[in-house]
Amino acid sequence: MRKAFLIVLLIFSTSLPQDKKPGDSLNLFSPPNIKKFADYLFCQGDYLRAAGEYENYLKTNYNDTVEFKIAVSLCSMDKYSEAAGRFADIPPASALYQLSKLEFLKTYFLKGSLTEYRAKYSAAGIKSGFRYSNEAESLYNFSYLLNDGPLPDKNKFLASYMGSDRDSAIKFYNWKEDPPHKSALAAALMSAVIPGLGKFYTHEYWDGVFAFLSTGILGYLSYSDFKADHNFRGWLFAGLAAGFYGGNIYGSAASAQLFNAKVNFDFTNMLKNFLSLRNYFIPNINFCR
Amino acid sequence: MKVYLKYFLPLFLFAASFKMPGQDALHSQFDYAKSLYDKEDYYDAVTEFKRLLFFDAGNKFGYTANEYIGMSYKMGGKFSDAIRYFVYSEINAANFDELFTAKINIVRANILRRTTDRALDLLDSMHVQKKFSSKTGDVYYWKGWAYIFADRWDKAAESFSKTDSSRTLEELCRKVERERYSVPFAEIISHFIPGAGQFYTGHYLSGLLSLGWNVLWGYLTISAFNAGRTFDGVMIANFLWLRFYNGNLQNSSKFAEEENIKISNRALNYLQYNYSGTKP
Repeated sequence: MRKAFLIVLLIFSTSLPQDKKPGDSLNLFSPPNIKKFADYLFCQGDYLRAAGEYENYLKTNYNDTVEFKIAVSLCSMDKYSEAAGRFADIPPASALYQLSKLEFLKTYFLKGSLTEYRAKYSAAGIKSGFRYSNEAESLYNFSYLLNDGPLPDKNKFLASYMGSDRDSAIKFYNWKEDPPHKSALAAALMSAVIPGLGKFYTHEYWDGVFAFLSTGILGYLSYSDFKADHNFRGWLFAGLAAGFYGGNIYGSAASAQLFNAKVNFDFTNMLKNFLSLRNYFIPNINFCR
Repeated sequence: MKVYLKYFLPLFLFAASFKMPGQDALHSQFDYAKSLYDKEDYYDAVTEFKRLLFFDAGNKFGYTANEYIGMSYKMGGKFSDAIRYFVYSEINAANFDELFTAKINIVRANILRRTTDRALDLLDSMHVQKKFSSKTGDVYYWKGWAYIFADRWDKAAESFSKTDSSRTLEELCRKVERERYSVPFAEIISHFIPGAGQFYTGHYLSGLLSLGWNVLWGYLTISAFNAGRTFDGVMIANFLWLRFYNGNLQNSSKFAEEENIKISNRALNYLQYNYSGTKP
C-alpha cells in the first residue's frame, strides 16, 4: 500500500513542476508567445493581425526579422508607403539589410509611380558594393516596359538577365518596341472607302460582313425607291444607309482602339504575372518552413 | 478501506484543489475573447479566439472558438471566412447539438452570401439523414429562408407551411408571391399587343411608345408589300419593325423583373426591421 502511495506521489511530484516549467508558455501574452502567434498568423496569410502582433512584440523586444515581416505583411496588404517605411527602418547591421533594400524598391515599383521608383532606385546607390545589384537592375529595367517613355538601348536593357529570364526579357522588349497595334485613323478611312473593311482590319470579320451588306443593301433600296418615285421609303432607306455607314466608320475607329487596349492589357498582365512569378527578381526567403 | 482513505483522500483533495495553470490561462483567454465579441469588437474577438485556438493544444475550445470566429466574421460581412470557421467548428463538434448548430450556421452564412443553392443542398442532405429527423422543423425553417433569398417566395411559403411556428413568414411569402408580376405573362401579352407588358407592369408611357413604333413600322412594312416592293418590306421589317418588336419584348420582361425586385426588397426590408424571429 505504501509502495502504491509513493508511486502516485512520485508521479505528481514530477508532473507538477512540468506544468509550471513552461511558465511563460502559458502566459499567452508573453513576448515569445506573441511572436509565436504572430508567426502562425503570418504563415496563415492573416497579415493584418500578424502585423499587429509583431508590433506588440516590438514594444518589448527589437528584432530585425520581425521588423522585416511587418514590412512584408504591409506590402502583402498593398500598404506600400507604410511597407517602404518599415523596410527603410532595417538597420545596416542586419543580415536582412540588403534584402530589405530590394524589397523597399519593390514596394515603390508596386506603388505604381515609376518616376518615384526610379528616383528611389537612383538614390539607393545600388551599384556600389550591393549584393543584389543585378536583381535590382533587372526590376529597374522592367519599369521601362510599363510606361510609354523611350526604351533604353537593347543591349544595355538585356545585360542583367540570364537564362530563361533573358528570353522573356527579349520577348517583352521586342513587343514594347513594336507593339501589334492597329491605327484608328486607318480603320476609319478603310471603312469610309469600303464599309466594313476597317472591321476586317481589326479582326472583327462578322461585323465587317454585316456592315458591308447592310450599308450596300440599304443604299441600293434607297436608290431603287427614289427611282420608282417611292420618296418616303427612299428617304427612309437613305437615312438608314447613312446611319449604318457613319456608324461603321465610327465603329471601326473605336474597334481599333479597343483592339489596342486589349493588346496593351494582355501585355501588362503577362508582364505583371511574369514579375510576380519571379518575385520581382528578389531572392525568396521562406519564413514558414 | 481506512488505509486507502488515509493515504488517498488527502492526495485526491490536493490534486482536486490544484489548478492547472494552462487551463486557467485558456479559460481566461476564452472569457476575454468572448467579452470582446459581446462588445461587438469583432476584429479583436477574432484575433483573441485565434490566439486561444493556437495555444489550445488539447483542442478543448475547438468547437466554441471556431464558432465564435465564424460568427464574428459573419457579423463583419465576411461570409466566406465565416463559413470556413463554421466548417472547422463542425469538424470539432462533440455532440449532436453542436453538429446541428454548426451545420445550420454554415447554411445561414450561405444564405447571407446568396449562395442559396449551396444552402439548399446542405439542407437537403440534412433532410435525408436519419439523425436529423428530430430537427425537420428547423430544416424546413431554414429552407424557407434560403428560398426567400433565392427570390422563390412560393417555395419559401411551402417550406414555412411545414413548420409549426412560421405562420407569419408563410403569410408574408404568400402575399409577396401574389404581389409579384409574372415575367412570362408580361412577355406573352407583349407578343400579341406590343406595349401590353409595359402596361401590365404600370409603365404606361413606355407601353404607348412601344405600341406607336410597332404600328408605324408595321404599317410601312405592309404598305411596301402591298405596293409590290417585297424586298423593301422585308428590309423595313428586318431593320425596323423586328428591332422595335424585340425591344418591346425585352422591355416588358425587364420591367416585370425590376418591379419584382422592388417587391422582394420591400419584403426583405420588412423582415430585417420588423420580424423578431430568428433570421439568417
